[in-house]
Amino acid sequence: MKGRWWFHKVVLSMMAAVLLVAPGTAYSQEEVSSAIRRYRDMEVSTGYYERYEVLPQRRRPLVGLPGLRRDQFPYSPSGAQVRLRSRLADSHYGVKFYNVQKCETCHPAQSDDLHTVRANLTCRQCHGGEPIASIEHYYSPMNPIRRHAYVCAKCHEGASASFASYVIHPPNPADVKALEEFPALFYVFWAMAAIAVGTFLVFLPHTFLWGIRELLARKKETSSESHE
Amino acid sequence: MNNTRIRRFTAVQRLFHLLLMASFLAQGATGLARMYIETPWGQYIAWVFGGYEYCLTIHIYVGIFMLAGFLVHFFYLLAKIDWKGFPGSLMGRDSVLLQPRDAKEAYEHVLWLIGIRGWPRFDRWGYWEKFDYWAVFWGMVIMGVTGLLLAFSVSSSRIIPGWGLNVAFWVHRIEAILAMGHVFIIHFFIGHLRRHNFPMDKAMFEGSVDIDSVRHERPAWYERLEKNDDLKGAITTEAGRGRRAVFYAVGYLAMFTGLFLLIGGILNSAAITW
Ligand code: HEC
Ligand code: HEC
Ligand code: HEC
Repeated sequence: MKGRWWFHKVVLSMMAAVLLVAPGTAYSQEEVSSAIRRYRDMEVSTGYYERYEVLPQRRRPLVGLPGLRRDQFPYSPSGAQVRLRSRLADSHYGVKFYNVQKCETCHPAQSDDLHTVRANLTCRQCHGGEPIASIEHYYSPMNPIRRHAYVCAKCHEGASASFASYVIHPPNPADVKALEEFPALFYVFWAMAAIAVGTFLVFLPHTFLWGIRELLARKKETSSESHE
Repeated sequence: MNNTRIRRFTAVQRLFHLLLMASFLAQGATGLARMYIETPWGQYIAWVFGGYEYCLTIHIYVGIFMLAGFLVHFFYLLAKIDWKGFPGSLMGRDSVLLQPRDAKEAYEHVLWLIGIRGWPRFDRWGYWEKFDYWAVFWGMVIMGVTGLLLAFSVSSSRIIPGWGLNVAFWVHRIEAILAMGHVFIIHFFIGHLRRHNFPMDKAMFEGSVDIDSVRHERPAWYERLEKNDDLKGAITTEAGRGRRAVFYAVGYLAMFTGLFLLIGGILNSAAITW
């Protein structure tokens, strides 16, 4: 009898150990909105997946044409004029090779925002399926009068019109172009940068000099720290 | 066990510093993990904290904890102010408020740095220490406000326009870089590596400083204590060997964590989408 009990104890503690160590069960068929969000609680990992680990992905495979920068794909000989399309129901109507290109090839400036790069959203999760209406087209879900409800609130529960005025594709705040498109961001960026750079300009040389100066000046003997 | 040290920080102050240190490093690590998630380095840090999303969760909770600590510290300050001698006491020598005297001492210190003049007669707090204190103080306000705005973006966009979040994001980011750069380079160097403090200035952990170093480095403070007959009450003994070992371990752990974040952050800064 005693031997048995000992055996049970071993088995029970092994089962407890397995329960503690083993990962939880995983459920497939979960709603997948992005590569990052896929396995989040089920796996011990960085929670961030490379493009070869998950399909489909927004990023392009690592092939390129030598000598051709990827953001210079000449989608239109008169790129400046096409902004006039801003009120079309299908903003890509008549755009050549649209079907065989990826969004980021033609819209590099819109492809490095936080939603795309960090949260790994696809463009279509916001811009929707075909046809992609121009932002200001009256019935576009992106139209500022309904953007918060039709787009943002899909993921940000309770999004208001004010929330939707967050600029998804912000200009580079350091760039002079931002002065036109988003002056508040431009000024605040440079004010903060000035504070940061100013602090370092004062304190880095100060610290450096201090280090050198003390190398030259021996510390005077102290009673308690000398024996360490 | 000899009476060789002068009390400099109370237990409460040291606790504040310890909590600030731990949470600052946690915020730095989780924040950088998310910022650098495109690089293997960032993914490694994120892995430590359970992934990209948990980093944010931890970041927000630790941030709220820091703000709570800041609030407590604020009331602690109010309680510590000598209200009887009120406005004058703020300009006292034990006060950390920046005073005209500090400009003079900073100037003299610079002269010392370039070898023109002797060591200035610092009192209890050097100007760089006061600067550190207030840098954290305002940094806390800035990071706290922008952090709360971003963490509760849907609610906060009722108070501010949504595009304010773009602005808050960049303020949060630049201030974070400033704070980490300052702490990981300047604060650590002055606290650990400069020759007179090497290997580590234990004042903030032990609560006391060596009496002879005070006499040399902060002569005005020492003489003031002596003149007011406060010296006896301020003298204390050195911590035991075991506790000193713990101080070194904590200090160096913090420093290496900071340097890891600093160096990795600089090396990888070209590889991320800003
Ligand atoms: C072949 C190149 C090309 C591809 C691929 C492409 N676009 Fe476009 N897109 C254009 C051109 C040209 C315009 C019109 C120019 C403009 O308004 O800037 C345009 C306009 C738009 C507009 C409207 C802009 C406005 O001002 O209202 C949106 C939104 C848009 N594209 C999103 C996308 C998305 C999302 C994808 C991927 C599914 C995509 N585009 C793929 C070339 C392309
Ligand atoms: C989080 C939602 C979201 C995602 C994801 C997103 N966009 Fe947008 N996009 C918007 C919004 C909102 C606007 C309107 C911006 C404005 O009014 O200033 C916009 C505007 C645009 C425009 C018009 C030009 C401009 O900058 O205003 C283009 C082109 C565009 N997006 C392309 C893309 C492409 C390509 C991707 C994928 C790489 C993408 N978007 C991903 C929300 C999104
Ligand atoms: C498909 C889901 C989705 C849609 C649609 C979407 N977002 Fe997001 N958004 C996210 C995710 C996921 C994050 C978190 C990003 C991260 O973790 O880095 C985020 C983050 C944000 C943030 C950063 C602050 C925060 O709460 O962390 C803002 C601001 C934001 N989104 C605004 C918008 C706006 C405005 C729209 C509508 C144009 C929008 N989003 C549409 C998924 C979405």
